[in-house]
Amino acid sequence: MRVKKHILFVFLLPCAFLFGLIYLIPIGVVTATSFTSWKIGSDIHFCGLENYLSAVRDPNVRVALLHTLFWVVLQATVHVALGVTLALILSRRCRGWRAIRTISMLPNIIPASALAIIFLRVFDANGLINSLLSVITGKPVQIQWYFQVKTAMIPVTLSWLIYSGLITILVLAAILGVSTELSDSAKMDGARGLQIDFLVILPIIRTTIGTAVIIASTSMLKEFELIFLTTNGGPGNKTLNMPLYLYKTSLIENNYGYGNAMGVMLILLGVGIVFGVNRLFRMDESVY
Amino acid sequence: MKQVKRAIGKTLAGVFLIYVVIVCLGPLIWVFFQAFKTNKEILTSAFALPKSFRLDGFQVALQTAPILLYFRNSVVISMANTVITVVAVSMAAYMTARFSFRGKQFFTLLLSSSLLIPVSSLLMPIYLLLTKMGMIDTMRGLILIYAALGLPTSLFILQSTFQGIPRELEEAAYIDGAGVFYTFFAIILPIAKPGVATAATLHFITSWNEFMFALVMTKSASVRTLPLALNYFTSQFSFNYTAMFAAIVLSILPSILVFICLQEQITASMVSGSIKG
Repeated sequence: MRVKKHILFVFLLPCAFLFGLIYLIPIGVVTATSFTSWKIGSDIHFCGLENYLSAVRDPNVRVALLHTLFWVVLQATVHVALGVTLALILSRRCRGWRAIRTISMLPNIIPASALAIIFLRVFDANGLINSLLSVITGKPVQIQWYFQVKTAMIPVTLSWLIYSGLITILVLAAILGVSTELSDSAKMDGARGLQIDFLVILPIIRTTIGTAVIIASTSMLKEFELIFLTTNGGPGNKTLNMPLYLYKTSLIENNYGYGNAMGVMLILLGVGIVFGVNRLFRMDESVY
Repeated sequence: MKQVKRAIGKTLAGVFLIYVVIVCLGPLIWVFFQAFKTNKEILTSAFALPKSFRLDGFQVALQTAPILLYFRNSVVISMANTVITVVAVSMAAYMTARFSFRGKQFFTLLLSSSLLIPVSSLLMPIYLLLTKMGMIDTMRGLILIYAALGLPTSLFILQSTFQGIPRELEEAAYIDGAGVFYTFFAIILPIAKPGVATAATLHFITSWNEFMFALVMTKSASVRTLPLALNYFTSQFSFNYTAMFAAIVLSILPSILVFICLQEQITASMVSGSIKG
């Protein structure tokens, strides 16, 4: 069907306006100003690749990038594996499977800022974890999990790694959507439980798992509040990641040009991950 | 032998399920009970149940921080921006799903490219933009940002919704002389209600929970949202644990209640929002 030009214009305008204002212009500004020296109180001027060169030398960028990549890899593997395992178990529709699906979603449905404060308390000196350890070991344990150099990574990483409810509902929906004929015929051929899961079901829902990997890993490129509200990147820079360092550089130190160079790095990382996973899971090919 | 294997498998699966329930539910239940204990009880034992279910903590929490005000702000902001996103996106999605026009592919590709962008990278320019437009520290500013953040996922959901509606209905309307506006708002949108509800639910939750933009773009209590209330609490309540736990309960309760009531809808929306068209 065809449509008159002015009607088309009116229907597309609101969407195009929002997109232009919040995505297109900011992306342009981030990219362009990443090649400038631009700080509060001084004029903006072109400086070529200077921001990127100092980023390479900046130990904070190196650490933040390393942590971000570490968490991206953990999310893409462990986090997704946990979610898929739960989905495979729940797909047998054991008693209470709906209730467990709901429960596994709860940490994803509450504000992440609330989860951060809860974790801060759970891993507090006299919090849940230390009390558990005291009972088990029989002597009082008072570890400041979040605030010691050696332990800070543990509670920070756990606060998103173990909560893969979203992955579970995605994968579960895909599994339940696979026709039972396929697994039935596999059973006729003598395949059993786990064999069916790994050789029949998982290959069929390959693209869904690819989507899950993309969602899980790219979420680490914007992870903010679960670090900001707990360790704020510390102790030192032991739990610093790229979004948090970008926030500190741009909005605390007001070093805009440098912050935006980090923004460009994040965007490139995001595009790279999506294309990489797409190729790995051959997501553009059909399943059958 | 086969039976032994199956028994082992069942046990392992059971253990995993118990682990999931403990890890997901345990901390929430613990926080809930802590909110009724006195400071002294909290400090002496992390496990002990509260001696009585007094509401003192909640009272202090509500007095110390403007939780109810933040709650109201969250409701206003989330609702307003969800309506804007859903209307704007469904208008555009209707055009791309139904009509052919020059630049259609480019338009769709451009909009979906926003899925690739980690929004944290755009923090500073968006801050600058809002300052220039005089919208820093206003509800309008947050509504505008959130409405835009909802574009990519809503577009996927709504485009496939419109593609699933048979064309005959509208063709009949057009033959009867109805205009595009009338057909869209009076005929198509009501039919597309399930898809629209799906997109709206998913987007409402996302904006309800958003923290980073709310933190950066607002300063005054009169416009701040519920997730920020907790930022306030960390220092404010450092000596009153009971009130702090009560504040956590108050901030997670709305999300949990809404989720339990609208479960099927939310689950469906998350599934269709993440699967690319």
